[in-house]
Amino acid sequence: MTRSVVVALAVARKDLTSEWRTRELVPALGQFVVLALVIANFGFQIDSQNAATIAPGVLWLALVFAGLVAFGRAFAAEREQASLEAMLLTPAPAAAIFAGKALAAGLLLIVCEAVLLPTLALFFGTPLNLALVVAVFVATIGMAALGCLFAAMVARVRSREVLLPLLTLPLWIPFVIAGGQAVQVAMGASGSYNQALGLLVDFDILFVVLTSLAARFVLDD
Amino acid sequence: MSTIVADQLSQRFGSDLALDSVDLALDQGDHLAVLGDNGAGKTTLLRILATAARPTSGRLEIFGLDALRERKRLRGRIGFVAHAPGLYPALSAAENLEFFCSLQGVERARVSETLALVGLADVAGRPAGRLSRGEQQRLAIGRAILHDPRLLILDEPDASLDSGGADLLVKVMQGRTAVLATHDHALANRLCQRTLVLRNGRPLGAGNRLRVVQ
Repeated sequence: MTRSVVVALAVARKDLTSEWRTRELVPALGQFVVLALVIANFGFQIDSQNAATIAPGVLWLALVFAGLVAFGRAFAAEREQASLEAMLLTPAPAAAIFAGKALAAGLLLIVCEAVLLPTLALFFGTPLNLALVVAVFVATIGMAALGCLFAAMVARVRSREVLLPLLTLPLWIPFVIAGGQAVQVAMGASGSYNQALGLLVDFDILFVVLTSLAARFVLDD
Repeated sequence: MSTIVADQLSQRFGSDLALDSVDLALDQGDHLAVLGDNGAGKTTLLRILATAARPTSGRLEIFGLDALRERKRLRGRIGFVAHAPGLYPALSAAENLEFFCSLQGVERARVSETLALVGLADVAGRPAGRLSRGEQQRLAIGRAILHDPRLLILDEPDASLDSGGADLLVKVMQGRTAVLATHDHALANRLCQRTLVLRNGRPLGAGNRLRVVQ
């Protein structure tokens, strides 16, 4: 394994071990997505006709806001513990540290999705199939890369809670558009699933590469 | 070859001048105590020397390398104990060091050796968040020497150490070039041959320990 991979895996393992022992984030995120679905269930007049139309929007809203919390915490915790600097003052590549943080935050969001998708199917009566899971998973990769980059950028700023959504949400829109289309098709609407999924993969590649290059400049100072 | 050569280092935060034209030359094995009141610029100077911050102006060479351009190359040769321990509270003392072994690229065998050196072998499995403040500081010192750096930068490491703390500092500074910020003149006198006194970011004077004590 190259040194960057070793560093990225060590950072991800450290974050996941800390979360497993403290259980600070995942239970809260799980509750958040369930509550969001309960509110949507009561807020909309859901019936068998409109469930497949409304459910994708509700899914992406819940996912986007859960993601903001997950990625924001990834660097906020380091800042509170004053441990980010200790990490950055090692010879470890900044891009590898960033990749490890994004990997751990992305995996935590996937755990949250494991609660979200069955609950959505339960409340809205929508199908829970492989196509739906794949679309959400593929979107999570690019969203994690972008979310973590901006979380790192605002971690040392006082108004980070306001800045993080302002910076991140506009760049997540491509994922919501392509992911929304893929999810709608997976839930039974007409359209091209493969085209939407292909677009998500393209966005993933583009943003993973861009954020890896930018991470060095964001983290190094 | 000098370990550190600093020429006219200055640091501004907005309109505040935190560090004003500091010159410094340290040879291998030198121990320098940086003294001064709160807000004198000690931490600012140490952060620049540890490559954690860039000066607004001035030149800094460490181990003959330009410390402003070659930061990544230098970081494997510098150990820094910051004001806050910066540990992961949910990880044990040993796990904290194992994690930094991965980042530093050193063997994990260094962990038990380092824990024994800083006197934490008995609490190796205890979460860092449940260690006392003094033990956390010992762990932070252990992390700073994990990769056997030739230059050690210590920002008030004695602030929460117990009576054996000074002995620990003697041990970890031995054979290394060290810069130590402290308010404790007696400790500075014991550990360092040289001193630099800062006031409002300006060097008031530098000299040997006798001059400062007098």
